[in-house]
Amino acid sequence: MKMAETDKDFKDLDLLFAETRQSEGQMPEGLFRRIVADGEQVQAGFAAAAAARGQAHGQGMWSQFVTVLGGWPTLGGLAAACAAGVWIGLAPPSFLPDPAELVLGGNAQMDLIGLDELIAALAEEG
Amino acid sequence: MSVPASLPAPTDDALLVLFANGDRDAARELTLRLTPRAYGVAVRVLGDRAEAEDVAQEAMMRLWRMSPDWQPGNAKVSTWLYRVVLNLCLDIKRRRRGTMAALDEVPEPVDPGKGVVEGMQDSARAGALQRALMQLPDRQRQAVVLRHMEELSNPEIAGIMQISTEAVESLTARGKRALATALAGRRRELGYEDG
Repeated sequence: MKMAETDKDFKDLDLLFAETRQSEGQMPEGLFRRIVADGEQVQAGFAAAAAARGQAHGQGMWSQFVTVLGGWPTLGGLAAACAAGVWIGLAPPSFLPDPAELVLGGNAQMDLIGLDELIAALAEEG
Repeated sequence: MSVPASLPAPTDDALLVLFANGDRDAARELTLRLTPRAYGVAVRVLGDRAEAEDVAQEAMMRLWRMSPDWQPGNAKVSTWLYRVVLNLCLDIKRRRRGTMAALDEVPEPVDPGKGVVEGMQDSARAGALQRALMQLPDRQRQAVVLRHMEELSNPEIAGIMQISTEAVESLTARGKRALATALAGRRRELGYEDG
């Protein structure tokens, strides 16, 4: 093999590079279609992953809330207590004052600690 | 995605962001832009069209998968892709090391618009160039293909191959000299002394 020493050898090579560049451009049949299909499959995966992340995020917040309160039994007790509170507010037992009358005033008179007797005793001493 | 004709074409960066956001047109546009480059380099570096096809498809698949992590403006998408292609080519070459590529089986396209003799001569030239390329060491061949077939600048090649610009200049100069030497004795055979 002789050494490439002349400008002619390099000019020929540059010409060959240029010819080869121009002759290229034929792509294998179906390659574009397969690559686009791959891309669309990957995009579908992104969308599914994003949806799963969103769902997991929601579940995580609710689970965290329940855990902070002490779990499902505590949550059940809390719900029962709330319901009892509401019921007592609406229909108090007979030994408790009616909150509606206390707030709004009314004719009902109550002396839970014997205030009248205390005032009379103090007046007699004084 | 519909881009008015008066607007400049979106950059590869922008298309990749659109792709990550689920834009199907971006997938098609990026495929049309980048696949010929990935395939062209792989064919020249590997000397095998079937393997080059696999490399191009795998490189594009990696591009799709990494798209959500892409940082626009940091690097060129094409630089990233060329690097992946070259690494995949090296993996294949490592796997088949010890066996010579059957270059004679590489089909070379013949332009049907030319005469039979001219077509054969073009084909002979392209085949001769490919055979000479395959005689170069891997890094020299990569640098020569990127410089003279893809017409990239030396700094771009340096970025792709992750070496200095001076190293690129050295690789391409040595590669070109070796190619010229390999083809020097075949000028008449390849039709360069016809004129």
